[in-house]
Amino acid sequence: MKDKLLKPGMEKLRLELGEVVGILEARSPYGAVTLSSREMTRYFVDNTQERVSTGEPTAGVILRTFDGKTMREKGLGGFHKEEVIRAAKSFVSGVDFSSNGKLDPGPERTGDFQTEMENDPALVPTDQKLDALRDMNRRVNAIDSRIINARVSFLEMREKTVFRNRVADLAQDIQRVHMGLMITVMGEKGAVWDFDSKCGTGGLEILAFSDEELAELVGNAIKLLDAGRIDPGEYTVVTAPGVSGVIAHESFGHGVETDMFVKERAKAANFIGKRVGSDLVNIFDDPSLPDEFGSYFFDDEGYPAQPTQIVKSGIFERGLTDMFSASALEIQRSPNGRRQDFTRKVYPRMTNTFFGSGDLSVEELISRVEEGIYIPKVSSGMEDPKGWGIQVSGHYAFEIKGGKVTEKMYAPVGITGYVPDVLGSISGVASDFSLSGGYCGKGTKETVPVTDGGPHLLMKARLG
Amino acid sequence: MLEKIVKALSSNADIKAWIIRHDSTRGFQQYELKDSTESVREVESELYTVDVLCDSQDSEGKPASGLGTVSILPGGEINNALEKAVLTAQLVHNQPYDFAEPASISDLELVDRSYLADPQGEIQTVLDTLKDTTAGFPHVRLTAAECFGQEKQTHLVSSKGVDAQQSATDIYLQWVYIGGKGENEVETFAETRRRRIADLNLEEEAALRAQYTSDLLEAAAPESYSGPVVVKGGTLAVMAAGEMLAGSLLKTLSSASLKYSGETPWEIGKSIFPGEVKGDDFTAWANRQFPYGVPSSAFDHEGIPAQRVPLIEDNLLASFISDQRFAYYLNLEPSGDFGCLELPAGSTSTAKLREGSYLEIAEFSWFNPDPITGNFACEIRLGYQEKDGERKPFKGGMLVGNLLEALADVRWSEETGFYGNYFGPQAARFNNLKVAG
Repeated sequence: MKDKLLKPGMEKLRLELGEVVGILEARSPYGAVTLSSREMTRYFVDNTQERVSTGEPTAGVILRTFDGKTMREKGLGGFHKEEVIRAAKSFVSGVDFSSNGKLDPGPERTGDFQTEMENDPALVPTDQKLDALRDMNRRVNAIDSRIINARVSFLEMREKTVFRNRVADLAQDIQRVHMGLMITVMGEKGAVWDFDSKCGTGGLEILAFSDEELAELVGNAIKLLDAGRIDPGEYTVVTAPGVSGVIAHESFGHGVETDMFVKERAKAANFIGKRVGSDLVNIFDDPSLPDEFGSYFFDDEGYPAQPTQIVKSGIFERGLTDMFSASALEIQRSPNGRRQDFTRKVYPRMTNTFFGSGDLSVEELISRVEEGIYIPKVSSGMEDPKGWGIQVSGHYAFEIKGGKVTEKMYAPVGITGYVPDVLGSISGVASDFSLSGGYCGKGTKETVPVTDGGPHLLMKARLG
Repeated sequence: MLEKIVKALSSNADIKAWIIRHDSTRGFQQYELKDSTESVREVESELYTVDVLCDSQDSEGKPASGLGTVSILPGGEINNALEKAVLTAQLVHNQPYDFAEPASISDLELVDRSYLADPQGEIQTVLDTLKDTTAGFPHVRLTAAECFGQEKQTHLVSSKGVDAQQSATDIYLQWVYIGGKGENEVETFAETRRRRIADLNLEEEAALRAQYTSDLLEAAAPESYSGPVVVKGGTLAVMAAGEMLAGSLLKTLSSASLKYSGETPWEIGKSIFPGEVKGDDFTAWANRQFPYGVPSSAFDHEGIPAQRVPLIEDNLLASFISDQRFAYYLNLEPSGDFGCLELPAGSTSTAKLREGSYLEIAEFSWFNPDPITGNFACEIRLGYQEKDGERKPFKGGMLVGNLLEALADVRWSEETGFYGNYFGPQAARFNNLKVAG
């Protein structure tokens, strides 16, 4: 069973959007209207408290026109027909549309889309969700007496969008879910913590944690009590999919969002068609992947989701665009125009960004390393689109000796390096593949849900 | 609509206490691209957020309190939303507590009056000033800038009798400087948020960023290093007070909720440092009263008035920072939200701190220490090596260490500055940190 595609207010106003586009385009070379509703509920249980809270919902209308040079938008709260028509008339009345710039509205397209799910969270009672979190909290706490807190959180986020321009009439209803675990353990030297999460577009069915997964999480948290600091230097490194993904995200994700090209912020702009990594490096962005946290059916400018290959066999192919940057750079669109919500502008943004898989097993990859470091878990990353520096923080890492991962743990482990050096050093790509989800900002704002990942990779990097 | 919500809440016998927050925002955003305007946006929004507290019973039949929160858009269905909030509150089981009683709330300066008089004009003036100032630095190009202004009105009403209103403005500015040519270009990305345009210190910040951009063109990779490290200005503020993406270690470890869960080792009257203090003694306030502080507020989301809380006095923890619930559990006075981090002036001049050989960190890629242990390994976007009277820029490498150990061995400058969420010394000399080159 699923919730309705659109809220009643959106459904009603959708019928009037042709008229609103007509008002905007009576004077402007391009007009579009978006109806956007984003709602979020967070459930939280730990050893000392329980919480259920709603995130600040946003629901409103975005009127968009192009005056030939500048994209103009007005965001209005709610879905009120008279207010929207009045605002559309007033919005275009004071604008000079004499410039000759044009924007391509794209191909004709219509369609209504909804996330496939077995167990729609909107239809599951609150007490059942809380009981599931309480049960998870009990399961984790039962594993080891050194656990002093087990935080369990569940987030459900519903995005309902209608997009209308002169050739497109689209609607989508996307359900994103996220389950997070964070455990704190106490040892003689103090407290340390570890975390895990699962997420996607779908229902509650995608969030289950097995007993083995929980035991591994607790086991690693306990090992963190005795983790040492790594001696800074260059190492042969094997990265797990989550770490590989953040390297993709920070290097050929942010750095190829094409607003960065227009702003002259991207070193990659000088490398189109040039080598940026070894032959083994393939990087993609794909919002059309089913069930993933960063997926959608069409972007916030109505462009249909499809995969983009960013790097092919080590050669930089193309960047990720929104309507404005694609038009300014005169390049083909990709489906990456995204906005945080109706209060924010569209930018070119990543969706599901990942390294393509290779043909080695993970065991074969690790067996190639006589002495090195295995980094299984990432905690954060930061982009440097112009300098191509990498900062990725591994939450912890293990020593590799004689082709085997040992129990010796280091934490935290910073990974740095120059992007082409790091990607150029990739000498092995495993056949596994997984994505991890989270939220990505542009600078410190404009948060959107994304995933990143890929396979295990073998590379050289500077650690500290 | 507020009256209707109050009426519906007051007539519901299942509700023990309630709080309503009515937020109205109006914003203007302008995005500049080289010599043209890429985009302009106007945004208005309004929201009612309702917290309801209900008595409940946990699975063993013990008395409990539950909180349910719902948000209602203007014109939204009130009764359905409140029914959902009550249902949720009855299902949530926490140790019993109650909402805050009314207390005297003083006015606090949080508004840029010149912005309110002409939002669009003032944003344009900020961007024009940035362009004009940049024209004085011919070695850099301003390729992009974004400036947002927002006015927010909050009205908080509670069943306990709190009835308070506040207005605040928020000004956000980011810009990009590019220096050099072709593949040798470098960039400096600046991002700042303040309550007032005047506090952006635009000319001064633009000059600093322009200097960073030129220095990046000359910067080489650093050698590995161990010794004194000087940090100044906004970068020091981020290390001490955190920023949007990475919270403050001091804020985390002084949190009453972490004390209640046993996750912070800090105890009132005990040193916050695990080892010996080799540098200046450390004193700090959590100050939500600081005029024009970005996290300052006359009252927080529970209606707790702004306070200047002595947090750490001569290395000893003086207070935990607590919301109403954890104050109730731990028998503390509720402080409400943390606010700004305020440190007293040090006793050494910045000039003295910069004597001899040292490294200076101008910018990190991202300073993000572990929120519990304080361990960090953060890439350096730009630094300087001062040796034998010579100053050489460098980029790359990582500053590696532990923030608590670093704060136990630091000297603070006597000159102070305000950086949005931090008021305190403008510079600090950490006596022994490591850079992995």
